[in-house]
Parts: sequence; structure tokens; C-alpha cells
Amino acid sequence: MKPAGAPGDPCADAGRELIGDIYLSSAELTARVTELGRAITADYEGREILLVSVLKGAIFFMADLVRCIDRPVEMDFMAISSYGESAQTSDKKAIRFVKDLERPIEDRDVIVVEDIVDTGLTLNYVLHSLSLRGPASLEVCTLLDRPYRRIADVSIRYSGFIVPDDFFVGYGFDYRQLYRNLPSISFLKI
Amino acid sequence: MTEDIPNFSYYRGAKQPHFVTQTERQAAEILDYHRVPWEYEPRTFILETDSDGNIVEAFTPDFYLPDLDLYLEVTQMKQSLVTAKNRKVRRLREKYPEIRIKLFYKHDFVQLAKKYDMSLPS
Repeated sequence: MKPAGAPGDPCADAGRELIGDIYLSSAELTARVTELGRAITADYEGREILLVSVLKGAIFFMADLVRCIDRPVEMDFMAISSYGESAQTSDKKAIRFVKDLERPIEDRDVIVVEDIVDTGLTLNYVLHSLSLRGPASLEVCTLLDRPYRRIADVSIRYSGFIVPDDFFVGYGFDYRQLYRNLPSISFLKI
Repeated sequence: MTEDIPNFSYYRGAKQPHFVTQTERQAAEILDYHRVPWEYEPRTFILETDSDGNIVEAFTPDFYLPDLDLYLEVTQMKQSLVTAKNRKVRRLREKYPEIRIKLFYKHDFVQLAKKYDMSLPS
């Protein structure tokens, strides 16, 4: 394991005590994302793809992935309420979209891009909601996966890495909204 | 457990759930947040009977999620009791292979609690 905070690491001086060893280096991420992009390219020959990302964790993965797909690709984004936000208003104490997609997905080939899937409960809600809109196809591409923690049986077509039950920061993963901008994925020491 | 039961939107049982532990209640809140319909202790599974047909061992999982057809047992207990629950889950799977059940461990719950910034019971 290499220590986080290499030269150029934007979080080198901010909260370093919380950032542990690097779990996935920038090079390892690049290599795997490239593989995923190639797989999607091969599977969607002759088709136009709509990549849908749930803000905010997956935006770094999405940005890299889309550049590894050699097909016509559109991107759209949605955001869902956090548990804390929802809990503030008892009548709306449930997951909901706080930002919806900007365009219809009917008859489109949609790939939901996730940063991580564990219980699958959030993704289950997202997929159910999107499936009601009549896409031609609906698949999931996740960077990190914890299939052993699954509660909802969601189908994952593209999975980057099966990861242990640890907390991570970097490459989109945050701790209290910080450290998303680390170029690699590191363990969080809490 | 004395508690102020929240008004759950996705609870599908007939009467108010009476949670035994704070962990169970938090699990219910997480399920409700995700709009996953749930029932609380809706079924007891007989695991063993004696020669007279008397129940020797039974198991009542904490939750049933009808949309997922999944029973969920949550535990925030010490390791010795987790081992006992593991054994019961294993027995249930042997005796009722058609039943889908998942044991939600303390570590699973710590992950979710941190994700949702919830306080954990000690």
C-alpha cells in the first residue's frame, strides 16, 4: 500500500490524518475504467447510449468512463435527497429526486453510472423509477461493488472492483463532502 | 423498549410494530426512507420439534420485505449472540430452502449509519 498525499494531491495538507493508505491508485482506476469503456463500446455497437449519473459521487467516474466509450453518448444527471435532508420534513421522509433528468429516456438505451453499490436499496429506487419511463434498455455500471452486502437484487452489468467493507475517499468518494478530489481512492481512517 | 414510534409510510403490517432494539427501529427507518415496503416479525419458522410435535426451536426474523421476497434479521449484538443467530439462519435455510433471508450484521449497520449520519446504539 502506498500512502495518500503524493505530489499534486490537492488534499495533501487538508485533513491528512483522516486519509489512510491508497486502495486503488490513479493508474489502476484508469486501467479498469478503460476496460469498462471498451466493454460498453463492444456491447452497444450501432446504438446511441444515454449515461445517467446520480450526483455527486459518480461524476469523476462518469467523466472518465464517457471518454473511454467509442459510441455516440449523451449524459444526464439526477440527484436524490440525502437521508438527513429527508428526515427534516416528516411528511417527505423518504428518498426522492431533488434533481430529475432533463430529457425523456423513453426508447433510449440507458446506463446508470454509480460510484458504489452495496445494499442496492438506493439503486433499486432509481432503477424502478427509471424503468417506469420506458427506456429501450436499462443497465448499471458501477465503479465499486459490494455484492455481499446486497439486500435488493439489482442487476449489475458492469462492475469495476469488488471492494471490502471499508470507507473510502477520493475519486468522487467523500467524507462530509470533502476529499472527492483526491486522484486515487484511499481508505478513510475513522 | 419505550419509544416514540414514527409514522412509517411503507410499513405493511396490521398493528403498530414494537421494536425490541434501537437497531431494529433504525433498520425500519432506512427501509422506509428507501420506499421499501416492510413487515415486522410477520412469521415464525419452526426449526425443530420433539417426538410429540412440540416446538423445540423456532425463529422469527425481524423483517419481511414483500416486494423483494426477503426476510431480514438485524443484529447489533456481541459476537457470541451473532454466532447463535448465524446458526438459526443456517437452520432456517436448511429447513426452508425456498425462503430468502439475510442477516444484517453490526458492521453492515455501522456502514449504513455512517452513510446516513445516524447515531448508533451502544
